[in-house]
Amino acid sequence: MSTHATVDAMPSPYTFDPATTALLVIDMQRDFLEPGGFGETLGNDVNQLRSAIAPTEALLGACRAVGLTIIHTREGHLPDLSDCPPAKLHRGAPSMRIGDPGPKGRILIRGEYGHDIVDELAPLPGEPVIDKPGKGAFYATELGQLLESGGVRSLIVTGVTTEVCVHTTVREANDRGYECLVLSDCVGSYFPEFQRVGLQMIAAQGGIFGWVAKSPAFIGALQRSAALPQAA
Amino acid sequence: MQTLVPQPDPPTGVRIGPVQAEPYRWPYDGSVPVARTALLCIDWQTDFCGPGGYVDAMGYDIALTRAGLPATAKLLDHVRSLGMLVVHTREGHDPDLSDLPANKRWRSAQIGAEIGGPGPCGRILIKGEPGWEIVPEVAPAPGEVIVDKPGKGAFYATNLDLVLRTRGITHLILTGITTDVCVHTTMREANDRGYECLILSDCTGATDPGNHAAALHMVTMQGGVFGCVATSDDVIAATTTS
Repeated sequence: MSTHATVDAMPSPYTFDPATTALLVIDMQRDFLEPGGFGETLGNDVNQLRSAIAPTEALLGACRAVGLTIIHTREGHLPDLSDCPPAKLHRGAPSMRIGDPGPKGRILIRGEYGHDIVDELAPLPGEPVIDKPGKGAFYATELGQLLESGGVRSLIVTGVTTEVCVHTTVREANDRGYECLVLSDCVGSYFPEFQRVGLQMIAAQGGIFGWVAKSPAFIGALQRSAALPQAA
Repeated sequence: MQTLVPQPDPPTGVRIGPVQAEPYRWPYDGSVPVARTALLCIDWQTDFCGPGGYVDAMGYDIALTRAGLPATAKLLDHVRSLGMLVVHTREGHDPDLSDLPANKRWRSAQIGAEIGGPGPCGRILIKGEPGWEIVPEVAPAPGEVIVDKPGKGAFYATNLDLVLRTRGITHLILTGITTDVCVHTTMREANDRGYECLILSDCTGATDPGNHAAALHMVTMQGGVFGCVATSDDVIAATTTS
């Protein structure tokens, strides 16, 4: 028995069935979010991203309480860099490259401390963690298969950064027919201007990539739906 | 389904790069043989940028989506003379709508342009209709590859990756519309697949100039997170014969 819930969202109300909905938490990794990590070493202000941690923590609690499917992603590469395209490795002459020793272990390498998810949002046993080599969470990963086999139709999208990995993943999901709701307080960008325009692009033209709302609105809809009497 | 048409061997010794681009001189590996480079022309379709197409009929200013046509036409002449692979894409759906996701159909109806419904140039975004065809200014030449795509990205549910890898393509130059939607989605897909990408600011356009500018700016951040931005003249100037 399905119970539909509706969230007040831009550009129009977003309706979902919790039984076919998954929460996606994208790349909330120490190297992007923590002081002293790779992101900060590149000159970025990690506080722009850290503001998403507390609302996402509350969101995870609410989703776990009702048994919503939760999927985490991490961007990273194999220790031998065999899954890192040369163009990604070499472009732009950065001060530190993928695979170099960094403040929290080798940069963006699977298994290193900095590559893992921040403690506040650590996955629970049984919550899938998708390791992705690119910005998008669908390319060269098992995410599509996982969603299909689980009968998922709707994605609640959170994580970092808004205009890079969140946007790329939402675009991939949208082309695959998934209905995406991006939670504006649970996504973050190092650049306030891209946070604003990134969210605006999603809801533009009648919601060309999906919908945008704040997490309390989604949590409210989820809890109201869970409180309804369930048919046997 | 497109068939692969054998192409003449490109002239030897012709390379592209380094191109004066932002945020670095493109490509990352200095320069690239023309034979390993493709020009992508994304969704230059009548319904998006042609007079009488549905974007025009909806009252948008098509000067914004047409802005990149003259520079793209000039660049096409240039790269054709070099023998570079040219790939055109078209967004569209089968007449029975079997490849149209339900949410895409619903949303298009919400803004008054339901995919499959009657439009000013035939059924909107349906393969074979006049509005779905590429505008004459940048029409495909015989033998050029055309990729039909059901989404915003040109890689999902298409043979584009296969075509590019079969030809040994490693570097992509992107033109088309709209900058923030189909061009950006395709550039992101290409970047994740390891293609070295260059988007041309004067060969793209969007219905919202702010989104055009922001989309180009996003490319240049963090050392070129998706690749680089340049103009068509920068590319033409960086064509060298060794």
